Amino acid sequence: MNAAATTRSESIGQSPRALSNTSSVPLRSLPSDEQWLLTRLRQSDEQAFDELVTKHHGALIRMAMGHVGDREVAEEVVQDTWTAVIESLDRFEGRSSLRTWIFGIMIHKAKDRGVREKRHTTFSDFETFDDEQEDAVDPSRFHRSGEWTGHWAFPPQPWDDQTPEKLLASQQAVQAMNRAIEALPVTLKDVLILRDVEGVDAQEVCEILKITETNLYVRLHRARERVRRAVETYLEGCQRAV
Amino acid sequence: MAHNSSQSVHEEITCREVVEWTAAYLDAHVGEDRKQQIALHLAACAGCGAYVGQIASVRDLVRLLPQTVDSPSESEQVRQAVAAKLRRR
Repeated sequence: MNAAATTRSESIGQSPRALSNTSSVPLRSLPSDEQWLLTRLRQSDEQAFDELVTKHHGALIRMAMGHVGDREVAEEVVQDTWTAVIESLDRFEGRSSLRTWIFGIMIHKAKDRGVREKRHTTFSDFETFDDEQEDAVDPSRFHRSGEWTGHWAFPPQPWDDQTPEKLLASQQAVQAMNRAIEALPVTLKDVLILRDVEGVDAQEVCEILKITETNLYVRLHRARERVRRAVETYLEGCQRAV
Repeated sequence: MAHNSSQSVHEEITCREVVEWTAAYLDAHVGEDRKQQIALHLAACAGCGAYVGQIASVRDLVRLLPQTVDSPSESEQVRQAVAAKLRRR
């Protein structure tokens, strides 16, 4: 896939500049299945749009909420995103994937709306995240001096092979994990949703969020650690209850 | 004595460093030397073995978590709105 960034106007679904018939621009950089989808979308194929909405709407809402903090506003942002997608289809030149383009439009609109609304008040929304800030894991869990400096002082208790299955079957555990995800600062939440929930590959995540791979792995690790910590706390509570 | 750089690299990595490399390691986004260094450490360190395994489980679990973000009625409203715009295109 061509890793070149989209043009600014293409990326945020703005009003068209004067262009020749861009719908005839070859889309060689797109995989064949995406080229076919794009062809159907440009032919106003409602089933194709249905597939697109089904595929991406949930993740778009979830990410938008991280930026605007309000469900109703997030829905409006995503609705505006789909409108922009429909209106800008002929100008999409295929220099990024369709997904990168759609999520890029949403993020631009969500950030813009978040600034205008200034309504989100949850701690996670105001919590800024610096890639250079504190360690993912509490430093007190490692030896700080002596020959074992940097090694586990308080290692995690092992999970057995059935633990993941048990976690998914437990409403409390599922709620704990979802709460941990929703409480993430937006910069961590975006990478977790794209990479782990949606399965977007690392390079495309970087294109969508306009971050380096170094940033990606730092943020991804911190996001996963916060969810792991939530699970650890839940399991410790279960053990105490026994 | 010839300097065995790979052995000295393997001896130097701490648990704290392994923890920081975990996401990149699980994504196979580390160089071969670092990968071997971490793999050797994991083979010998139960704490890090548990930690990396748990992060891998979290990575797999979050994809499977049931979502309440999108209700069926909301999805249908969005589809109808998109279809209406499409017809006017």
